[in-house]
Amino acid sequence: MPASLAPFIAARPWLLKLFKPAAAWYANAASYRQLGLYADDLVSEENEDVLKALKRLPPRQSYDRVFRIRRATQLSLQQKILPRADWTKPEEDKPYLGPLLAVLEAESKEREALDTLTVLKNH
Amino acid sequence: MISRSTVTRGCQLALRGQSCAQTAQRRSFAAAAAIGTPGSFEPTEIAGLKVASKDAGGPTTRLAIVAKAGTRYQPLPGLTVGLEEFAFKNTTKRTALRIVRESELLGGQLTATHTREALVIQANFLRNDLPYFLELLSEVVSQTKYTTFEFNEQVQHAMHLKQAKINAASLALDSAHSVAFHTGLGSALYPSSATPLGPYMSEHTIASYAEAVYNKGNISLVADGAAQSQLSKWGETFFKAIPSASSSDLSLNTAASKYFGGESRTSRPGANAYVIAFPGASLSDNKPEISVLTALLGGEGNVKWTTGFSLLSKAAAGSPGVSASAHNHAYSDAGLLTISISGPSGGVKKTAEEAVKAIKSIADGSLSKEDVSKAIANAKFNLLSVSETSGTGIIATGAQLIAGGKPLDVAAAVKSLESVTADKLKAAAKSLLESKASVASVGDLYVLPYAEDLGLKALRESIDCFSLRCSAQDVLANAVPLLESSYNRYLAVAARAVRRSLKDDKRLIAERRGDTDLRFAKWENGKQGEPKSLVEANTAAMVEAAGPSSS
Repeated sequence: MPASLAPFIAARPWLLKLFKPAAAWYANAASYRQLGLYADDLVSEENEDVLKALKRLPPRQSYDRVFRIRRATQLSLQQKILPRADWTKPEEDKPYLGPLLAVLEAESKEREALDTLTVLKNH
Repeated sequence: MISRSTVTRGCQLALRGQSCAQTAQRRSFAAAAAIGTPGSFEPTEIAGLKVASKDAGGPTTRLAIVAKAGTRYQPLPGLTVGLEEFAFKNTTKRTALRIVRESELLGGQLTATHTREALVIQANFLRNDLPYFLELLSEVVSQTKYTTFEFNEQVQHAMHLKQAKINAASLALDSAHSVAFHTGLGSALYPSSATPLGPYMSEHTIASYAEAVYNKGNISLVADGAAQSQLSKWGETFFKAIPSASSSDLSLNTAASKYFGGESRTSRPGANAYVIAFPGASLSDNKPEISVLTALLGGEGNVKWTTGFSLLSKAAAGSPGVSASAHNHAYSDAGLLTISISGPSGGVKKTAEEAVKAIKSIADGSLSKEDVSKAIANAKFNLLSVSETSGTGIIATGAQLIAGGKPLDVAAAVKSLESVTADKLKAAAKSLLESKASVASVGDLYVLPYAEDLGLKALRESIDCFSLRCSAQDVLANAVPLLESSYNRYLAVAARAVRRSLKDDKRLIAERRGDTDLRFAKWENGKQGEPKSLVEANTAAMVEAAGPSSS
């Protein structure tokens, strides 16, 4: 897992205030929102944990995700972007896969830790 | 010719008999004293929770939370099973994986089971680890998360596997319970794969059932092999997390049990099972003769490679591959004495006939004194060994605690067993035969007999399962020609079938009532056709429909 400064910044309100406009500008500049995608739609599926997390999505969310990806693929083929009204709004762009993935990653991490633990006898 | 040693041996024996009479007597007293103080569970209360404990000082402990949440109390089907499968899953404090690995490291075993009345969450472990497992049990009860993904990936998966293992014998026992008690105790111990659970069972309903179940008034803790001081010390700390009252929108189904009786027949390929059940003794009843009667009927061998000489094993002796056993299912407010027979269909039929004959022979009073004393000894052994070994004793004690009673006083129960006489047994058997039986057959219905064929009390009181089944068959037989005919005619067939299955006196009344004088006419192209009597038209149509199929 790549190291991230995000938690460090999020924990400090003054830093967060400083970085937020830059982050918002970057997210818009990444231009996935112009194709109607969410940030979590960009997570690569070639990963056991992600596949499992996708299976755990509620049916409605799973359907919407497929729709967004298909629409984006079509737009990409046509070399177009959505009309401005249909762009993903920043408040819609919430992590829906991230929390599920975090549970799975924590589980594999815990499994790894338990598999390699050393027992210390207390006598 | 009498050898010298034989003569002297007699003298020696006579002498020994006299001199040892005293010691022998003392020994029997000692034995009685030992029976008088078997480890009964002592009820106490820790932090508002009902606790029963006993401690023989052994190196292992069995700790169980027994909740009043068996299948009879579930407000919607499948909830008990769901709650059982959710035991030891993710809690707010730790994951299911950690729970399993940690208890493995400590050498503990975690199990969750249920009966018709109780849900049991149990941990068996080494004596020193009491605090850990006490905390774990209270955590499972109060802080399980009931997540959606665990329900979809683990709970349902485990249920499907267990449903695949349901055999004919347990299906027959479930059917017998359902005809005996209808709802409550009558609901299946494990829902079969044919039971629609979709609308009732989800992680949300299970979570709210858990809220209704896991509160201090509704659960009890049973500890076998834990020191009372340790238990109360750690209990005070850990039981604080358990809520004292339910805040759930679901409430337990606590309707009192009522015995109905009847017959149920289920067609099933493969194995055959037959259950004959009578109203038995409940936990609160003081009916030792039912336990002795169960032991007398027996069926399960006490020695390897033989089924023994109890009445049921004699009944099954002539049919190879058939096993038969009697059991008294005691619940808090009702009991069911069952005779379960399973094996090849022909053998099951023969054994069922023999088993009913055996009960009749007890009722006729053809019991020898030896049989009675043998049965009493057997019943005593069953009672004592159950209360001594783990498992059953723990569940029974917990069930009694949450039902508001006291744990079984083993010494008193043994004494009451000893008071059973042949006359009492005879009366008990007679009352069984006079009561309405519940009969369930599963398997090859062509061979398996009806309850009436066995000579059990007639089940056709006025209209019940039996006659309803006839009507269903009649309707089905007429269904094919009826497919394109009118609803009136369908009604007539159904009504006729129901009327036919009534007893004579009631049938006459019903048939008089069934005389209708209704006329109808068909309108075609705006013109009225010839008016016809409905009854005559129905009869004519039935003859017409039956004509081609019979030729």
